[in-house]
Amino acid sequence: MTQLHPKRLAQIAQFELVRLFLTKRGLLAVAAFAICWLLILRYPIAQSVSLISSPDFADFARQMFGAIGISKLLDWPESELAVYWLIALFSFPGFCLFLCSDQTVGDKQRGTLRFLSLRATRSEIIIGRFLGQLLILTVLLFVTLMATVSMLAYREPSLFVSGLSRSVVLLLHLVITVMPFIALMSFLNTFARSARLSFVLAILFFAAGNIIIGLLSWQWPIFEVLNYLFPGYQIDLMAGQRAGLMLGVGLPLLQTAVLLVVAERIFARSSL
Amino acid sequence: MTVLIRGEGLSKNYGSKRALDNVSFEISKGAPVALVGPNGAGKTTLFSLLCGYILPSAGSLSVMGHKPGSAALFGKLTALPQDAQLDPRFSIAHQLNFYGQLQGLSNAVRNKETARVLELVGLAEVAKQRPDDLSHGMRKRVTIAQALIGTPEIVMLDEATAGLDPIHAREVRELVSTLSNEATFILSSHDLTELERLCSQVLHLDQGVLSEHQARSTSQDNKHYITLQLSQLYDGVETKLSSLPEVNHVYMSQSKEYVIEFEKGADPFDINLLHFCYQQGWHYRQLVNGHTLENQIFNKES
Repeated sequence: MTQLHPKRLAQIAQFELVRLFLTKRGLLAVAAFAICWLLILRYPIAQSVSLISSPDFADFARQMFGAIGISKLLDWPESELAVYWLIALFSFPGFCLFLCSDQTVGDKQRGTLRFLSLRATRSEIIIGRFLGQLLILTVLLFVTLMATVSMLAYREPSLFVSGLSRSVVLLLHLVITVMPFIALMSFLNTFARSARLSFVLAILFFAAGNIIIGLLSWQWPIFEVLNYLFPGYQIDLMAGQRAGLMLGVGLPLLQTAVLLVVAERIFARSSL
Repeated sequence: MTVLIRGEGLSKNYGSKRALDNVSFEISKGAPVALVGPNGAGKTTLFSLLCGYILPSAGSLSVMGHKPGSAALFGKLTALPQDAQLDPRFSIAHQLNFYGQLQGLSNAVRNKETARVLELVGLAEVAKQRPDDLSHGMRKRVTIAQALIGTPEIVMLDEATAGLDPIHAREVRELVSTLSNEATFILSSHDLTELERLCSQVLHLDQGVLSEHQARSTSQDNKHYITLQLSQLYDGVETKLSSLPEVNHVYMSQSKEYVIEFEKGADPFDINLLHFCYQQGWHYRQLVNGHTLENQIFNKES
């Protein structure tokens, strides 16, 4: 990667925040997000104590998320955070694909990138936009997490400090988990013709990719290694707090780096 | 003269189609430069290469000693790319401020710059509006404004006056003329009269091949030319003009327009020619010292 000026990177990333919080379309997305999370906070999280202790919960979670082994979560005294962790871990990556579907493609089609590329390098544009989206998702994760911690503190004030320290770790893990999903959309944006198409391509990537790798590894087990190409491969293990550092942190960071480098190379050589 | 842009052996292929064919040229600092040619001649391709939007298939291109698109050119080379639009979701001022910010202008300076460039294109009142609230012509002028932010040394305007009404097209021409002491403008347009008024150097592209002309070329190979445009068709104009002692050759370049090749004598030929028109009872419309750009480009006999 060449020519990355920190100041311009920060300016481009900051502009993405403005795009979400100061435009009509962005505010609508935030409003929809807020309503969904109000419902999540009001029901599953607010009722987390009874939910977690319910004998049906493990069966329910198994049906919803597969055999993820959530026994460790059941031991957390901060049950709100346990429910939050499960919901956020499985919902944010999908939401991220939708939210980040228009990183550069809209501006490219409109020609706006031609104005930008005379003032910032293409590497700065693609990395800056990635960082902007990451910033947005971090803000959204932080807000929902703080709301959950507030509910936890309201139920049991003595758990506030331990909940806060656990939420820092959860936030870091969640941010790292969504990174390759954002990078995947950065990559798809380099050749898709519209934001909608890039979203469809992402869905196809996961759906068709899983089927193809499933078939290949059924015949030749060695192809199971290709699963590591898919962002979120480690999520099942992370949900039950069973993913090691390499899988929970190393894999998504590596996937992010690879996707961004490929996206940057394609973007640098593409016609604007 | 300082050479700002140097292209050597530039070619650009789109699949099997060759849009630019081994083009070499130099553009020096100074008066505006025109880029002309029919549709599909390769003008926008050359513009895009100069701005770094596309990469050449062959050849080299240097803008102020740097590769197009490199960070060293930010704020020094600006452009109005053809058909590029601002983001419809943000106000004009917000976007121009952001461009100023990327160019390294401080908060106070970029606010002033936004106001200044909008004032230059006569759109100070639309700063708070969004691009979609503006007419096509106003949007075009706003995109011209973004090319004037800061102190660019090269300003490239691709079809800047296309789609503008005559009054605003004239204002843009005046703007280019006024600012041409501060920056070197490179203009592409189909309006040859417009380019003739503004530019001294003309790069003519046709089917990807480049040739150079001087606007208002008055002489070539020691031959001198005047272009006479009459207000109506008269009989035997070419024969009568040829009878003048200084005249070597006359031909009709288009209806009511004659190109006269003459030799310089003791008396000024243009004054003699006007006397002659008066004597013949011909009403003239325009007398151009040299070839018109249109004739240089399209008339093979010149």
